[in-house]
Amino acid sequence: MRRARIVVRDLTKTFREDGREVAAVQGATFAVHEQEFVAIVGPSGCGKSTILNMIGGLIAPSSGVIEIDGAPLAGPAPPQVGYVFQKDTVFPWRTVTRNIALGLEYRGVPAAEVQRRVREAVELAGLTGFEEAFPATLSGGMRQRVALMRTLVVEPQILLMDEPFGALDTHTKINLHAELLALWETRHQTVVFVTHDLSEAITLADRIVVMTRRPGRVKLVHEVTLARPRDVIALRESEAYAHEYSALWHVLGEELAEPAR
Amino acid sequence: MSERMRVRLWRLAILIVLVGSWEWLTGIKAVSRTPGLYWIDPFFVSRPSLIAKRFMHLASDQVRLSIWQMALSTVQSTLWGFAVGVSTGFAAGLVLGRNDRLARILEPYIIAFNSLPRIALVPLITMIFGFGLLAKVVLAWTIVFFIVFFNTFQGARSVDADLVHAARFLGGTDRQIMRTVIVPSALAWTFASLTPSISFALIGVVVGEFLGGESGGGLGYLIIQSLGTLNAADMMVALISLGVIGIVLALGIRQIEMRLLRWRPEYRKRS
Repeated sequence: MRRARIVVRDLTKTFREDGREVAAVQGATFAVHEQEFVAIVGPSGCGKSTILNMIGGLIAPSSGVIEIDGAPLAGPAPPQVGYVFQKDTVFPWRTVTRNIALGLEYRGVPAAEVQRRVREAVELAGLTGFEEAFPATLSGGMRQRVALMRTLVVEPQILLMDEPFGALDTHTKINLHAELLALWETRHQTVVFVTHDLSEAITLADRIVVMTRRPGRVKLVHEVTLARPRDVIALRESEAYAHEYSALWHVLGEELAEPAR
Repeated sequence: MSERMRVRLWRLAILIVLVGSWEWLTGIKAVSRTPGLYWIDPFFVSRPSLIAKRFMHLASDQVRLSIWQMALSTVQSTLWGFAVGVSTGFAAGLVLGRNDRLARILEPYIIAFNSLPRIALVPLITMIFGFGLLAKVVLAWTIVFFIVFFNTFQGARSVDADLVHAARFLGGTDRQIMRTVIVPSALAWTFASLTPSISFALIGVVVGEFLGGESGGGLGYLIIQSLGTLNAADMMVALISLGVIGIVLALGIRQIEMRLLRWRPEYRKRS
């Protein structure tokens, strides 16, 4: 068994809403191992993003423990963690290049080295020709590529992704899946990927954590047995994929079907 | 004919009609042969031809203080007041916008001072800073400071929290985040206040010049002097000059704003 990089134990988060305590996440427990790609899926409002925010140190848990590389998390996440937000968080006043360069600039990387790595990242993301463009002129898919490359260029070992492709159309999304997997194959970062899209989770992940409706509990941890490297297009036509999908759909469907109280 | 041309022609037509009827109406006498009785009395509103004549006179070197010197004095004071007001307003807005407690403590004082009609300060400022350039600059500053301050303050507070988080995950320290996220983000708001600021700086300066006397010079001085001599033509020269200065300054600021905010889609489309 590979070493656990993220351990989540008995994690609970309650929010005050209209004067009463509402549990968003209740007693979630799971681990993410070295070089593993884990997806968290669940119906909307199940607290999956809340879990990711807690792992990223953006919000504090009400109770429970998060350990990153063996160290209990208190406050901001350690430097080996990168985060890709659901919302578009590219800096609108910086060009594509300068957006991608930002993390390297923060770290005091010499200018020549910054230039080289940014150029590489621009090429990898297929953003050639848009180096000096401002984000407002780019499509949603391109902006999210910038956000992704900006995070990857500082080479985080742990990557937290909060529905990064949620706002994109299916076609763009599938392209980005292919690109993300290609990038991941070269570095094998430890990834936690939150999504409500089951096919996205199956396409990308080694393991899938299925959450219940609110208050979110871990309903099931499912091992995806599809071989790697994966071809995102061909994959969808394969019987193995269909098999995974129907098994998980059944489990997730129970959560979706239950009437809201 | 293009839409642009058409709009320009209409503008020109309106100008010609306005100036023409001004000239014409102030030339018709109400009762024939009775001197000085007009439908519209040029004594009060002057006439374009008269104004042009006075302008030529004031622009010549026959006068002690030419219109150019006065205009220069006004523009200089305005730009100084603007520069000082914008820089201090920006700094204060940034500091208070990122420091909730300080903002809460100072809030009543800021509101109190800002509610004070600035014109009421003119005598006091004149008493302290004398009749020269400094008094005018200080007066413009008291107005510009608050405009820029409130805008920057709003901007610094409404920085997208996710942008700050994203910067932190990229390894930014507090100082780096201040420089690369909060300042540029707040600047967008600050820039929006620059065009009104330059206009208000001009107001402050002219009001200062009303009281400033000849040592302060300026177009405001020309207006007050013309009041003393009941010279409507000179007053019109001053007013038209102020109008032109106001437009040129505002357009200049707008150019700078568009250049600096070119990353915003609403600016890109227009440029």
